[in-house]
Amino acid sequence: MSRRQSDPRDDELHALLRQAINRRGFIRRTALGAGGLVLGNSLLAACGGGKEGAAAGGGDSAAAAAGGGGKTLRISNWPLYIDKQTVPDFEKATGIKTEYTEDINDNSEFFAKIDEPLKRNQSIDREIIVLTDWMAGRLIKLGYVAPLDDAKFPNKANLVDNVKDVSFDPGRKFSVPWLSGMTGIGYNPKKTGRELTSINDIFDPKFKGQVTMLTEMRDTIGLVMLGLGKDPTKATVADAKAAAAKIKKARESGQIRKFTGNDYAEDLAAGNIAVALAWSGDIQGLAADNPNLRWIAPKEGAMLYSDNMMIPKTDDRQDLAMAWINYVYDPKHSAQIVAGAPYLSAVKGAGAELAKIAPDLASSSLVNPPDDLRARLHVFKALSDAEDTEFNRIFQDAIGA
Amino acid sequence: MAGTASGGSRRSRLAPYLLVAPGILWLLVFFVAPTITLAQTSVSGAGPWYEAYGRALGNYGVHFFRSLRYALGATLLALAMGYPLAYFIAFRAGRLKNLLLGLVVLPFFTTFLVRTFAWKTILNDGGPAVWLLQQLHILDPGGRLLDTTIAVVGGLTYNFLPFMILPIYVSLEKIDRRLVEAAEDLYSTPLEAFRKVVLPLSLPGVFAGSLLTFIPATGDFINAQLLGSPNQQMIGTVIQNQFLEVRDYPLAASLSFVLMAVITLGVLAYARVLGTEELA
Repeated sequence: MSRRQSDPRDDELHALLRQAINRRGFIRRTALGAGGLVLGNSLLAACGGGKEGAAAGGGDSAAAAAGGGGKTLRISNWPLYIDKQTVPDFEKATGIKTEYTEDINDNSEFFAKIDEPLKRNQSIDREIIVLTDWMAGRLIKLGYVAPLDDAKFPNKANLVDNVKDVSFDPGRKFSVPWLSGMTGIGYNPKKTGRELTSINDIFDPKFKGQVTMLTEMRDTIGLVMLGLGKDPTKATVADAKAAAAKIKKARESGQIRKFTGNDYAEDLAAGNIAVALAWSGDIQGLAADNPNLRWIAPKEGAMLYSDNMMIPKTDDRQDLAMAWINYVYDPKHSAQIVAGAPYLSAVKGAGAELAKIAPDLASSSLVNPPDDLRARLHVFKALSDAEDTEFNRIFQDAIGA
Repeated sequence: MAGTASGGSRRSRLAPYLLVAPGILWLLVFFVAPTITLAQTSVSGAGPWYEAYGRALGNYGVHFFRSLRYALGATLLALAMGYPLAYFIAFRAGRLKNLLLGLVVLPFFTTFLVRTFAWKTILNDGGPAVWLLQQLHILDPGGRLLDTTIAVVGGLTYNFLPFMILPIYVSLEKIDRRLVEAAEDLYSTPLEAFRKVVLPLSLPGVFAGSLLTFIPATGDFINAQLLGSPNQQMIGTVIQNQFLEVRDYPLAASLSFVLMAVITLGVLAYARVLGTEELA
């Protein structure tokens, strides 16, 4: 775990990353864009209860008899956010049959899907859902999630200190982080012709029509605010308006080619764009096929987010869910997950375990950010409902939608 | 085919109502009820009831006009491509008719979304389409297709083309061939026969086809989102974002109603111009 690589653009580091990281696909967030899934989602939402769970529940009775009382554990997570071994290992260790689905593509979209049934106290046929901090906060406030049973969660002691008390869930009663990631700048040096260091590089007229930003409001507004010298942890409406005005101007001038979910990754790989606001783990995944691509945390700072595991309040298999949460909070198991999905673990000792199985990756600043990088990471302010609507309105106007 | 239902038994008088009952029920549950809910939502915001409508009309005029423009462009393109094809299938295809109709419908075997995604690949900056157009000097060396108006209108045209072709085909198909022969017997040239006999008789198909293309194209939000830049976003994307991201339900609902009103007016005007009362 050398702290030598203080500069994430270090060539040597990137060479190491390329070796360390298995080929991963592109799509973590939605490749479909927010719109793509709406049709499907509303249909699903309309179906309410859903039959999939029932069908899955009647699965392998031999395995089920061993644990879980014949019930299947159903987990919803973001795409490409886990290694291949953890689920089978968990099934073997506990005898709980597990159905792990990568069906969360966008916080707002997923919320639209589960909001109605949870409001009516109906099951959403999932034991675990994984959503970003602000959305986790919304679900907790709405009373949609069940408290975690600490008696069944001895590994909670392994939760790293800096996320033990978060504003949206003091004491972590309802949620624990799955993994965390950073939002910074991904770019293709061949197309930019130079190394980038600043957020404001994305507004360089030389890159006109070759820049993408994220549809995730907190990521895009947060980074642009940092570029304006404002602090996203204390974002005010005026700050958001200033950032939005800058974004709007760039959009109208044609500087910004698109606002994307995860699909920026394809555009970056295809050479359609030169610079993108990008999530840290994605660029690592792309680097396997496109060794030129870089991800940096700009000198002004980068955004930090966590995605959190939660149990819906209507769930009747909470024991299975707790077994899973406790399992992945074992440092060994967490390290294995990170080895397949290079993001930040919130489990104490996972770094040391990762060093044993993937030493190169363990020293990467993306999995283990050095102190100077940590100091530049910001978590967007926790917004009230009214603020959330206001900020989103400002943002949607800026992105022209 | 004349009706003989004037017989007067109680059952036969009820029969028509029984036949339309499932359809009416469906419309009540899945159209009328949601529309009423939507109407309630649209006036449920803070402030006076028309507050959301004010914002919808005040801030999103650009998106409405853009949507109408794009949809109109796509409809005209689909007509220009679809009519000759439908004509060929109906009059000239012979034994190939069913095969060709099958090919027209074939794209529906893959989802809308995947088909639109495919266009992203085809229109890529480094892709074959851009390369070819640059070689032909139609496109500037630094030019692009993806994320432009051309891509969005092209995508709309592609996705709704079958809805244009099929109704036109149906109306051409049922034209009595002897009418064309009669016209030619009366010394009209093939072109005149087409203009005076075939075209007027196929207008109902053209009317239906244009509506089936224009209406969904106006409200479409996938093509603009996948194939356009932020400066090509259509009203459908705005409504979707207001519902899912901003969660400003009154605004989203009132935008939907304004869109419905605009489309209804457009369609009425179109029906009047075309004057096809047999469609009613």
